[in-house]
Amino acid sequence: MTTTIAGIRTVAEQEFRLRIRAGRWRWLLGLWFGVILGFAVLLRLGLAAVDATGDDRSAGPPLFGGVMLFVLGLALLVVPALTAQSVNGDRERGTLATLQITRLSAEEIALGKLAAAWGTVLVFLALTLPVVLWAMLEGDVRLLNVVVTLGVVTLLLGVVCALAQALSAVFARSITSALLSYLTVFALTIGTLIAFGLVTALTNEKARVTYEQPEFDPQTGRVVPGGEVTTETYTTTRVRPDRTWPLLSPNPFVILADSAPRLEPRIDPRTGRREATPLDPLGELGLAIREARRPPDDTESFVTGTGTTQEPDPGPVWPYGLAFDVLLAAAAVVVTIRRLRTPVRKLARGVRIA
Amino acid sequence: MEASRGITTEGVARRFGPVEAVRSIDLTAPPGQVTALVGPNGSGKTTLFLMLATLLAPDSGRIEVGGHDPVIEPDAVRSLLGWSPDVFGVYDNLTVREYLEFFATAYRLPVAERRPRAAELLELIHLSVFADSPVHVLSRGQKQRLGLARALVHRPRVLVLDEPASGLDPRSRVDLRELLRAQADDGVAVLVSSHILADLEEVADRVVFIDGGRTVGEHSVRSLPQTRARPWRLRSLDDTGLVAALDAMGMPHSAAGPAGVEVSLGADEEAADLLVALVRAGVRVVSLAPSGGDLEAAYLELTEERR
Repeated sequence: MTTTIAGIRTVAEQEFRLRIRAGRWRWLLGLWFGVILGFAVLLRLGLAAVDATGDDRSAGPPLFGGVMLFVLGLALLVVPALTAQSVNGDRERGTLATLQITRLSAEEIALGKLAAAWGTVLVFLALTLPVVLWAMLEGDVRLLNVVVTLGVVTLLLGVVCALAQALSAVFARSITSALLSYLTVFALTIGTLIAFGLVTALTNEKARVTYEQPEFDPQTGRVVPGGEVTTETYTTTRVRPDRTWPLLSPNPFVILADSAPRLEPRIDPRTGRREATPLDPLGELGLAIREARRPPDDTESFVTGTGTTQEPDPGPVWPYGLAFDVLLAAAAVVVTIRRLRTPVRKLARGVRIA
Repeated sequence: MEASRGITTEGVARRFGPVEAVRSIDLTAPPGQVTALVGPNGSGKTTLFLMLATLLAPDSGRIEVGGHDPVIEPDAVRSLLGWSPDVFGVYDNLTVREYLEFFATAYRLPVAERRPRAAELLELIHLSVFADSPVHVLSRGQKQRLGLARALVHRPRVLVLDEPASGLDPRSRVDLRELLRAQADDGVAVLVSSHILADLEEVADRVVFIDGGRTVGEHSVRSLPQTRARPWRLRSLDDTGLVAALDAMGMPHSAAGPAGVEVSLGADEEAADLLVALVRAGVRVVSLAPSGGDLEAAYLELTEERR
């Protein structure tokens, strides 16, 4: 059995052609575009209404970030419906066995079907490009940002395609695999949040924290430079998200937000002061997530407000989450291939070959 | 020649959980011959075919298709095996031509050959006029013929067809017989199961009977075992006279119907004797013929034992 690009292409083209002819795509794609455009228009009006774009702050980043988060959420709902019958649907229609006895290998069938499913999702994603372009025209959205964000969304949707396809290969009935695909999406999005929240609560610990206080001038109330530092030790309870953040990392929204390049703070060349930066939902969300990685400091300082030995950035979360998700998808592809391999020795319950 | 070997199975068995679908099947389907696989529903025909078609691994026993073991070398078997299952789906949204061209691609036919091969097959199964119609407009019998064309797309040396005649009109059944005959004459090993025994009898060179997942007989159709007794159909101009004459001879018979009267006779001599006796008795006999062929008789005898 050989796996060839030509074989994968044969399956992918066939599958894509069948998908295109089967549904009311024009209508569905139109609806998709309409919903996203509607969201973008409302978001833009909302941004203007709450004066988020005052001080010459660009509406580009909040529009782009908001739309991408919305698109990811909507696509996560669409993908299972598109992919969850990929294998068992063919079994039910009686077209899988006739494909399996051709010279196409199980690998070619699995990868070809995955490519077609993923390709279909990319058609949906491509329809959001006009809205992305609009956000870019609003200013302050860099091309790098767009490329990285769209790339990550594409990869994440591919992961969900692979998972849904594996479920359709494992379960005999398409209703079961569709349901489980939605539960998988739920687990990745809401489930990771819940797990993170609950497990973080368990990390509650007592800690002794040393508080450093500088000497104050009693007249002015100001810190005396080079003055004596007094320390005070107290006991507190705290949770340790720095130990549980990996639970949050496979979340597609977390990966999307954290991987998006952040806006650099800008300095006005005339005054030398920081300019007001635009709202950046992806960037803000990413920063908030990274804060979870910051280990608590046993020394607190009045001067810096927080710990004394802190790194400015606790490090990214998204590479771990994306790696985990991609590995999960790879495992899903392996499962699909094994389920498609013939001759079958052990037949799963309820599965009919032909 | 290695690739021209047909099908051989020895002691093949396969169970699904507690159900022993196939217990022990030995059969040979030599190249250049049409072998009929005959057995009642649930006797293991379809399961056996799935094992021949590289889809299902046997629990035990040995299978060879075209000189290759389907479990060890499935791709080698697939390249020379054409298989059509009893029930299958078609891609409803493709045209008939696209359907065949897709399978030509899936069987890795060179690009230049795909289109002519599809056209050739459509001609063969008399569906050329539907070449550009979507598959879903085809009738059940036409889809069955399309499935046959699909099985032939890569010019297989071994052909395994499960109930290919189901849903076919009489004209198509004759075409199917001719097609199977032509394939066999080309040196293809053809193994075919069907419930339409009269059709099989006309086309098959050999017949393998299976029952309860076991081979119970393997014969050349010309030398089918003589059965104890089988139904013959008698027609005359005067049914009342016929019935009276039969009663007078003490010959058991069925009630007279539009198709005549059925009697149970053993060897051909018995039939000849009966005819002579009836003519002597003055019955104006129009015809006396076995109802159903030798194959049907053998099959009925086989299944009678289960009752």
